[in-house]
Amino acid sequence: MNFNEKVPVTILTGFLGSGKTTLLNRILTEEHGKRIAVIENEFGEVGIDQGLVINADEEVFEMSNGCICCTVRGDLIRILGNLMKRRDKFDYVLVETTGLADPGPVAQTFFMDDEIRDEFTLDGIVTLVDAGHIDQQLGRSDESSEQVAFADVLVLNKTDLLSNESLDELESRLRGMNKMARVVRSQQANVPVDTVLNLGAFDLDQVLERRPTFLEPEYPFEWTGVYLVEAGTYALTLEEGPDPNMSIAIRLEQGTDDPSLNEGAEWCVRRYAESPEVLSPGSVIPPERHIDLQLQSDGRKSFCIEVDKPTKIGLFTQHTAEEFDMKLFKSDSDASSTQIPIEVERTWVAQHEHDDEVGSFAIERDGDVDIKLMNAWLSKLLAEKGIDIFRMKGFVSIFGESRRFVFQGVHMLFDAQPEKEWGDMPRQNQLVFIGRNLDEEEIREGFDGCLI
Amino acid sequence: MKSSRRAGILREGWTAHVNDYAIGCDWGLNGDVLVVCDALGDIKAFNGKSGKLLWEFTEIHDNGLLTTSVNPEGSLVATAGQDGNVFIWDLSSGICATKFKIGSGWIEHLSWSQDGKYLAATCSRNVHVINEKGEEIWKSEPHPSTVSAIEWSKKNELATACYGRVAFYDVKSSKLSQKLEWKGSLVSMVLSPDGDIVACGSQDNSVHFWRRSTASDSMMSGYPGKPSSLDFDHSGTLLATGGGEIVTVWSFQNSGPEGTRPGQLELQSKPISCLSFAPRGKQLASGSRDGTVIVWSLKNDGDGNAVGAAMMTDQVSDISWRPDGRALAATDGKGQVTTWRISK
Repeated sequence: MNFNEKVPVTILTGFLGSGKTTLLNRILTEEHGKRIAVIENEFGEVGIDQGLVINADEEVFEMSNGCICCTVRGDLIRILGNLMKRRDKFDYVLVETTGLADPGPVAQTFFMDDEIRDEFTLDGIVTLVDAGHIDQQLGRSDESSEQVAFADVLVLNKTDLLSNESLDELESRLRGMNKMARVVRSQQANVPVDTVLNLGAFDLDQVLERRPTFLEPEYPFEWTGVYLVEAGTYALTLEEGPDPNMSIAIRLEQGTDDPSLNEGAEWCVRRYAESPEVLSPGSVIPPERHIDLQLQSDGRKSFCIEVDKPTKIGLFTQHTAEEFDMKLFKSDSDASSTQIPIEVERTWVAQHEHDDEVGSFAIERDGDVDIKLMNAWLSKLLAEKGIDIFRMKGFVSIFGESRRFVFQGVHMLFDAQPEKEWGDMPRQNQLVFIGRNLDEEEIREGFDGCLI
Repeated sequence: MKSSRRAGILREGWTAHVNDYAIGCDWGLNGDVLVVCDALGDIKAFNGKSGKLLWEFTEIHDNGLLTTSVNPEGSLVATAGQDGNVFIWDLSSGICATKFKIGSGWIEHLSWSQDGKYLAATCSRNVHVINEKGEEIWKSEPHPSTVSAIEWSKKNELATACYGRVAFYDVKSSKLSQKLEWKGSLVSMVLSPDGDIVACGSQDNSVHFWRRSTASDSMMSGYPGKPSSLDFDHSGTLLATGGGEIVTVWSFQNSGPEGTRPGQLELQSKPISCLSFAPRGKQLASGSRDGTVIVWSLKNDGDGNAVGAAMMTDQVSDISWRPDGRALAATDGKGQVTTWRISK
């Protein structure tokens, strides 16, 4: 018997006007060697005339038990059931939802229906976001926040409508809602096809390959300023501020363009992960180190920075320069001093300031879990909170198992599969939860209770 | 005659192939012809005894063929597909006698009335009824969702199933004669031979049934999958249901099946894909996604034993008994067509 491999499916969501049809046309016209079947549920502004396109009325079927987690898309089951008979005709399926669709039933269809589950595999959920309008949409409708929450990839489209600063803020808001998703910016939905197809988003190994920490990094600092300096001694002054201490890392040869700043941020994340060296006022701040500035004393505090050749230095600080009225002066030999202007500054919008109902968080713990405790905890959690948990994804290290177990779920449905051998890798657990009004502390404590 | 492999009562006869996933096989002309259609849209008529190809047409429905149905007399086969067309073919000559364009949607279900005068076809949320000449004599109002099954319940009465309900329409008077409601997605439907019992498989892995005479209903739950194949035996005593790897048989004898334990026929390793009772007697053929075809001999309480088994090359897509019950044909997902003689 020869049972073929499962056909991957990408779900494309987004409000009307977010650019779904443009992206769909781009995918269909690009040379990628795939035979794609498209199931379209909305007549977009641009016609699609390429490939196998099937129009379907969204038929959302609730079950007699009334459980929303069991709700499926009947039209998809019917259409895919017929399409799978002719598997030789296509090797990829794209499902476009209407702008007002709740992505839950679409995703659940691939878990709930036994025949569909056998033949198809949900590759990923791509949500297009109209950068100019999503802010208002998120306030007005549950559907838009659900579409953001369910996404594996968020395409932030029509970025030309917003300033970079507003985009950063928007991106930060979206990340607060969904830590799991990869955010891609575009103007006319012009993202490379491989950022939306064959994501293997439900295949954790690939996700880990792409992002070693699997979560988008959260910057533990709020501000970066880049200064052009010559060789010599500089003074960094700080007035009284909101905190008695502050972390800083100084990076040499810091560029001022966006990629360089982002690269600097990544660099700084690694510095901040090291334990800091505690420095009192008057000390010299060594470059390329994680430093904890002690700021408890009253009045202005001053620290020294020594530079041995002309360069640009990047100051990555835990708080903004404004909060401490932080300034950099060149200390001249004649005891006078000149303030050094900031070449470029960047504010990394603080996390944990999201007031959206929909949010996400990650649990990362070393060690092994007891599978019995884990099953009991997860079953109870999903039974009680399944409606509010949109997605769950991650892996755990089960005591006595040589292989990593991958977990993923949509609402109450979840699936756990043994994956690759741990081998020499440190045994650890990473789980992301995305949902509405989730009690992060309670879930964390619940998970910790499963650890051995 | 070639020497036959023997597995219980199944003696392998001829085999043939179609070019894609075989949608279904139907016997016609009293078993003289077996007509097989595939998902690509090809239709092939084979000599029922020898397997010799009698006639064929390729890609008759653009984008694919979805369903076929032979009329009760066995002289005509109707085909329909994604192109919204219904074609009626004369089985002996291979001539397409009638062409009818229903609409732009998929035609997923066809059903001939018991007297063979009418052919019903579903097209998304509508049902159309045409006569032999291809004239539309009735069209339903749009249903609440896509129609998932149709079957004639009386001479002029058609039963339709969709999300949340089964409805009965008199196609002559265009009246809705009965509506049986239940909140669930009904994916399959079968009527008992006397038309009183309506059984539906539901997406939530249950079988729901009603007795029309008393309007009472019952639900049989606990299936591991959705029961997409159902069949009644000719006496209306036994209802065979899929919905997992086990064939579950409910017996309507005495006051059953409520409160009784069903027969559980357990041999196949993947979900049941098709079920068909023999025209007479209590033999049941079950096809599975694992490629096996098994013939069971059942008792009145629904329990039974396997009396024959065979293996196809892929999931079994359809099973059809010859009208005399002396032969069986099955098709699979790779387009193989196999026939067996039933030995006593």
